Amino acid sequence: MLEFKNLKKSYAGKTVVNIERLTIRNGETVGLVGNNGAGKTTLFRMLLDLIRPDSGEVLSKEENVATNDQWKDYTASYLDEGFLIDYLTPEEYFIFIGSLHNLSVAHVGDYLKKYEEFFNGEILNSKKYIRDFSKGNQNKVGIAAALMQKPALLVLDEPFANLDPTTQIRLKSLLKSLKTTEKLTTLISSHDLNHVTDVCDRIILLEKGLIIKDFYTDENTLKELEAYFSE
Amino acid sequence: MLSTFLNHQWKDFWRSRNKTGSIAAQLLLGFFVLYFLAIAIGAGFGMPVLIEKIFPGKNVIEVFNGFILYYFLFDLAIRTQMQELPTLSIVPYLHLNIKRKTIINFLNTKSISSIFNFLPFFVFFPFCFIKIGPTLGFLTASMYILSVISLAIFNNFFVLYIKRKAINNIAYFAGGMGIIAGLAALDYFHIISVRDASNFVFLQVAKYPFLALILTLAAGLMFKLNSDYLSANLYTEELSTKNEKKVSTDYAFLNRFGKVGELAAIELKLILRHKRSRSSVMMGFFFLFYGFIFYRKELIDSDSFGKMLFAAVFMTGIGILTYGQFMFAWQSSHFDGLLANKINFKDFIKAKFLLFTISATVITILSSFYGFLSWKLLVLHLAAYLYNVGFGTVMVLYFATLNYKPIDITKRAAFNFQGTGATQMVMGLPFIFIPILLYLPFGLINKPYLGVLCIGAFGLIMLFMRNFWINLITKLFEQKRYKIAEGFRA
Repeated sequence: MLEFKNLKKSYAGKTVVNIERLTIRNGETVGLVGNNGAGKTTLFRMLLDLIRPDSGEVLSKEENVATNDQWKDYTASYLDEGFLIDYLTPEEYFIFIGSLHNLSVAHVGDYLKKYEEFFNGEILNSKKYIRDFSKGNQNKVGIAAALMQKPALLVLDEPFANLDPTTQIRLKSLLKSLKTTEKLTTLISSHDLNHVTDVCDRIILLEKGLIIKDFYTDENTLKELEAYFSE
Repeated sequence: MLSTFLNHQWKDFWRSRNKTGSIAAQLLLGFFVLYFLAIAIGAGFGMPVLIEKIFPGKNVIEVFNGFILYYFLFDLAIRTQMQELPTLSIVPYLHLNIKRKTIINFLNTKSISSIFNFLPFFVFFPFCFIKIGPTLGFLTASMYILSVISLAIFNNFFVLYIKRKAINNIAYFAGGMGIIAGLAALDYFHIISVRDASNFVFLQVAKYPFLALILTLAAGLMFKLNSDYLSANLYTEELSTKNEKKVSTDYAFLNRFGKVGELAAIELKLILRHKRSRSSVMMGFFFLFYGFIFYRKELIDSDSFGKMLFAAVFMTGIGILTYGQFMFAWQSSHFDGLLANKINFKDFIKAKFLLFTISATVITILSSFYGFLSWKLLVLHLAAYLYNVGFGTVMVLYFATLNYKPIDITKRAAFNFQGTGATQMVMGLPFIFIPILLYLPFGLINKPYLGVLCIGAFGLIMLFMRNFWINLITKLFEQKRYKIAEGFRA
């Protein structure tokens, strides 16, 4: 599904991302962990063609994301509030995002009904612009909008941050079920080791742009990670 | 404590992300201030002579008296638009062990330092010393001075009070100007007289100097009102936005353009839902009256289109110019989202063209009331319109691909230079000069109509070439998108 080749990016002489080779297979749920400055967000941005790599390339379904737009058809993402058009109401935003994937207003409405529980009654019909919502609720809008696109590849940057406990748990089960029903490939970054090991079947540990560890999760994973981070 | 606040503000200014922009803005403001100071000093010292020249044979002091309230009425109107609310971003201080009063005092003290409070000193004090002192005595002169100070302070806090009460100041500005224009008109037609009223007030001050204390009292009351309002409303929730109900809207007329229309609709919402872009639009409508300055009868009669071209291009293209100069930066806060989503870059660019075309068309239709002056102006506007839609749009979007500075659209527009860089300054020039250059040779050989035709034809040709331009701009946009996105993220 995804291939990173000799990917390098540095800012002011400091290497932020330096990945020689990384392959992500169809249907995998991959968790990116690492302290601040490890290069998680930069990696995501290069994957989404928001930053030009200094060298190397990202291939999505064997196509370079920087030269070809195909990946946008099956990729949905939510990195931060910069992805939301914050002067729209949530409904307007969902309809706009839906229209990009040729979903009619009715389709979008049907879809949103499925997420009523996820929204916990706070998002829809609230008569507010997105910018007036709390950060957690903005996150919910962004994540729901990403899922609505029925992607084959989902990219989420710290999706659990700012969410209330109930929603965190709901999001986890949602991601797990999508993996089985839709064969979704997911990339998640998170600082919450518990959640990441719970949801993901593969963990990639980054430090200063380098891949330190790359392994499949088992019952010992959480302990291993905790040991690494408490060093 | 006050010095700590000042210190923080100083750091805030110098460490702001948009430093160069704000320094440039402050410099420009500085020049304005110096300019107005020079005028004020000149007017102040020259007043005794000026009054005698302009109103020969009248009592100099009476004319002066009549002028004072006028000045402060006008002052009020200008302040409503120009005077900034003193903003210390107080939120980080509210929860600390700082007395509420200290914060309010800081806000109030800072507002006093506004230039508007010092201009009247220069305008009125010299006259008080030169004329009123010698003729009416020292006490009267000092009471005049006290009244002037009181009026300035009254205006200061009155405006702040109104501004704090109402977020949308454009309506207030228009209202204020309307009232003043109305008063001036009533004055002009001798129905009531501001001048007489002003004269009456200050004659009383001259007669019973201590009456000036009433004005001081009024200023004090205004100050108190303002402080009380602040201290009662010093909650972050109430200082920020109003809690009005927001509704979803749908612009059906844009639906026929498909995805391009969808993008244009999003952008239209952007314009209508932000203060800065909204006031840009309002300015566009104000500028519709620009023509009355340029379209003189003798110019129209002699077909001197060259001299009226500037106004025509400017008025019909105002939307393209004011909105286009910050193009892409309007969307800086969600630019990443636009790139990462399934949006065709060509559609994105087409949407801009669509929006520009709509705005220019609307404003050109509105400007057709100049047809009452002469049908020639309609021809001129049509040519200017074609130029703007055909080529102005292309130019603006070309420059947009060179603009990497984000703007915060929630801020107001007047004297906001955030995101203004060399690109914006440079852009205005070709926009205005190209039509003039096109016209010039025909103007010189005295074939004005051919000149106008040439501009129109140029615009029309460019309009037919629009697909070519769209492809070109899209290509440029694709090349520059990383740089633009990076600039906006900062």
